[in-house]
Amino acid sequence: MYLKYILIFLSGVIIVTGQSYEDKRCKCVCPSPAAVLNNTAGSDRRLYIANVPPNKCNCDGVILPRVGADIKGREQEFCPRCECKYENRNTTIIKVVVIIVIWVIMLLVVYMGFLICLDPLINKRAKASYQEHTNEDDESTVGGPSQPMGARGNVLNRVTHQQDKWKRQVREQRRNIYDRHTMLN
Amino acid sequence: MERFPLKSSVPKMGTTYQSVYKKGVSTTNGRSVHSPSEDDMVDITPGCGAAGLQQAADTTPTNHGTFQLYEHSSRNSTASPNSYIAQYFSSSAGDAIIFSGMQDDDIPGIGQYDDFHTIDWQRDIARDRMRHRYIVKKRQDSILDLIKGAHDAWSGWVCVLLVGVCTGVVAGVIDIGASWMTDLKFGICRQAFWFNREQCCWSSNETTFDHGNCSQWLTWPQMFGESREGPGAYIISYIFYIGWALVFAALSASLVRMFAPYACGSGIPEIKTILSGFIIRGYLGKWTLIIKVVGLILSVSSGLSLGKEGPMVHIASCLGNILSYLFPKYGRNEAKKREILSAAAAAGVSVAFGAPIGGVLFSLEEVSYYFPLKTLWRSFFCALIAAFILRSINPFGNEHSVLFFVEYNKPWIFFELIPFVGLGIIGGCIATIFIKANIYWCRYRKYSKLGQYPVTEVLVVTLLTAVIAYPNPYTRMNTSQLIYLLFNQCGISNSDPLCDYNRNFTDVNSAIEKAAAEAGVYRAIWQLVLALAVKLVMTVFTFGIKVPCGLFIPSLALGAIAGRIVGIGVEQLAYHYPKIWLFSGECSTGDDCITPGLYAMVGAAAVLGGVTRMTVSLVVIMFELTGGVRYIVPLMAAAMASKWVGDALGRQGIYDAHIALNGYPFLDSKDEFQHTSLAADVMQPKRNETLAVITQDSMTVDDVETLLKETEHNGYPVVVSKESQYLVGFVLRRDLNLAIANARRTIEGITGQSVVVFAGAGNPPTGPPPCLPLNRILDMAPITVTDQTPMETVVDMFRKLGLRQTLVTHNGRLLGVITKKDVLRHVKQMDNEDPNSVLFN
Repeated sequence: MYLKYILIFLSGVIIVTGQSYEDKRCKCVCPSPAAVLNNTAGSDRRLYIANVPPNKCNCDGVILPRVGADIKGREQEFCPRCECKYENRNTTIIKVVVIIVIWVIMLLVVYMGFLICLDPLINKRAKASYQEHTNEDDESTVGGPSQPMGARGNVLNRVTHQQDKWKRQVREQRRNIYDRHTMLN
Repeated sequence: MERFPLKSSVPKMGTTYQSVYKKGVSTTNGRSVHSPSEDDMVDITPGCGAAGLQQAADTTPTNHGTFQLYEHSSRNSTASPNSYIAQYFSSSAGDAIIFSGMQDDDIPGIGQYDDFHTIDWQRDIARDRMRHRYIVKKRQDSILDLIKGAHDAWSGWVCVLLVGVCTGVVAGVIDIGASWMTDLKFGICRQAFWFNREQCCWSSNETTFDHGNCSQWLTWPQMFGESREGPGAYIISYIFYIGWALVFAALSASLVRMFAPYACGSGIPEIKTILSGFIIRGYLGKWTLIIKVVGLILSVSSGLSLGKEGPMVHIASCLGNILSYLFPKYGRNEAKKREILSAAAAAGVSVAFGAPIGGVLFSLEEVSYYFPLKTLWRSFFCALIAAFILRSINPFGNEHSVLFFVEYNKPWIFFELIPFVGLGIIGGCIATIFIKANIYWCRYRKYSKLGQYPVTEVLVVTLLTAVIAYPNPYTRMNTSQLIYLLFNQCGISNSDPLCDYNRNFTDVNSAIEKAAAEAGVYRAIWQLVLALAVKLVMTVFTFGIKVPCGLFIPSLALGAIAGRIVGIGVEQLAYHYPKIWLFSGECSTGDDCITPGLYAMVGAAAVLGGVTRMTVSLVVIMFELTGGVRYIVPLMAAAMASKWVGDALGRQGIYDAHIALNGYPFLDSKDEFQHTSLAADVMQPKRNETLAVITQDSMTVDDVETLLKETEHNGYPVVVSKESQYLVGFVLRRDLNLAIANARRTIEGITGQSVVVFAGAGNPPTGPPPCLPLNRILDMAPITVTDQTPMETVVDMFRKLGLRQTLVTHNGRLLGVITKKDVLRHVKQMDNEDPNSVLFN
């Protein structure tokens, strides 16, 4: 069951590898060159982003190649007003994490829908055998390790078993919190 | 031999506690048929004459009942007398200690606890000590045992390493997921949907400070063919904002309700209670972990006024609990497990704030109860690993593990301490208002019909928050971003209205000089005041709804807003009157001498300090956030002032108040017990009631089972006889149940008529129903006090020793029992609170 999901998930990852984004950037913020040239106080700022090595992430490496012509001769005045920051990230991690989060949420929602809609129907049919299981479970909790169960059919039994146990626990938690309000108020 | 006056003449008897003890037992029982001089083989085992009980008869009960010393007379006793352990064991003729966890034929379930029970620290720690001795002793036997010993020695470190790694990874997932989903409320990245807005515009050159939008980033109005601006776009954005918020909140609330109700809330009050020695089954389980992580991402993204820091502590503790099951040393011993949980709590704060040392101190100051130095080092290591892993994941692309990391190195002037202390006072007041209002609301929710509609309540609160928050840009943005904005100083790259000063950036020589505030700043202040009010009110209603929610971030935001406003005020004062004596000339040079961002930071610390009543860890967290030790004094002043004001206005911090509201059995080591009652006033049974006791060797299985059925006590004292009431030991109800059930299964011929023998070797009953030896589950060293002991001492014993119960004696005879529940009820009663509100099973 889980293998299938993993496969779907992997194919999802492969399909969505679209446009590539860079992992590193040098981001510089400067006032507009007009501020230097005309001595006007302007609040409009310019953003310069370049993909350069960290040691080139400064005015000389990023800004002057672009605006050098405009502010000819006044670089000494312009450059101190720029702020440059070198940043990096990992796009693969972001992609994988976001897709995992979406998948987990979808799985949980689907399972929740299943538990709300379909499970009562199935349980109604299997009421008799269900009763048996709970008894057996009670015995095994008191009576220590239950004897090793048989082969394949019992694997399913054990899974249902665990699920019933879990459901009982959640019911108990719900009663504590939502009905009796003894905890986590 | 003078050192051991209890020793008798047999020199071969080792100089051990064990042998003294054995002899002590044999004499205090008073009914031993053996002569005391028979030191070598003092037989204190019950005189079960039945065959087939050889194993039981070989055992000697040690002080805590769950492990035994098997004596094998065949083995040589003088082997390697040099080692301490060998010396320890040389008294008995070669032996092996079997502790319950490792023995196959032991009664299953002994040493564990039921749901909503307190643990017995002394007993658990003694169990671990015995297990450790056993391993150390076995180490000399073979290489395999040596490896096992080495594995045992380092398993604590391996466990916290794993906890740290997992915590870092989970924190990275939460950070990335939450930031992506938060931005989903505004739009989506056109080419790569998995990027949030900033990542989407990562290499775009065209960002022109239009709220960071770029052409790759598709806002929802654009999706519908509208333009980016304009009334139509505003309405569509508004609707989408509310819609997404409702979807996220509904998902979070229904996932919590469906799969793991324990995942709601912040979790810190419960973690505190669990660490003080309480069992809440499933609170730190797998489903709680998964749902808490997913629900936290959803509820943070829904724009509710909540944070992820408190739940991170819970998540880390869940990881600690789950991973401790890989190491039986910790997984099977509740007291030892709490050492791992303390370290995990430290890792949780470490990743939440990127502050490893702050995390360790938080664990020490706020959550942990029992914190030996060993745990301190492990917490340190765990926090370090977690911070390192998160830092390598780099979820925010800023080389730090929190969004609102700011770097400061501006000086502050001495006069500023006055506004800082003032901020502390404001913070204390805001915190008190918050705590009182929140507790009032939570109590109302608990006792009224409101509590029956948890999901509806979440939806209503979300709807209100979204509707109110969207128009104001400071509440619309992510709270972490707001804090970042407020902490930041105004530079070239900051284009927010908050930084709308009359500055021209044409003067090269001074980077930022002080300047008059322009209209933008005043408008921003008004918006911030509104934001403060809205956040305060919304947080009161939000903290406690049934989704994962913490309150560090909202309180930091509240304080940062207040601080920034005060900071701007002081800054403008310094600008307009630079010559007044207050600034002592330091502001007259035209430099920017007042930094409003620093005030925001101090204010944030003040409110958080007032809400949680932390001091040391808070200051360390804050200075780790800012990367500079220069502001320790301002932060300390504000934290202290806020704590004083908070303590004066309301006694408890928010976590203690929630513990009291829920009635968790938490015996606070900060409070003092100041009443003059005696142990006799508190103990059970009260007058005219009889104490349920078990005699050591005269009750049958049927008698015991009737007693178990008729009474509901969690443990029974064992006495020599009902008439004499001389105390022998203490046996737990759970152990008794398990042991009888186990005996019925495994021992042939046990019937209802079998005599249950705990200790003593009276006249061994002869006859067909064999007797049932239960010496293995008897705790022969229960803590006792006399009935005249002042309760102050008793409470202290409960706190410091982590007792579960103590027995009260009078003239050496058993008189009654005081349990932790009795102590808690008594404390509540003395404080004029309802004693029945204590949560216990």
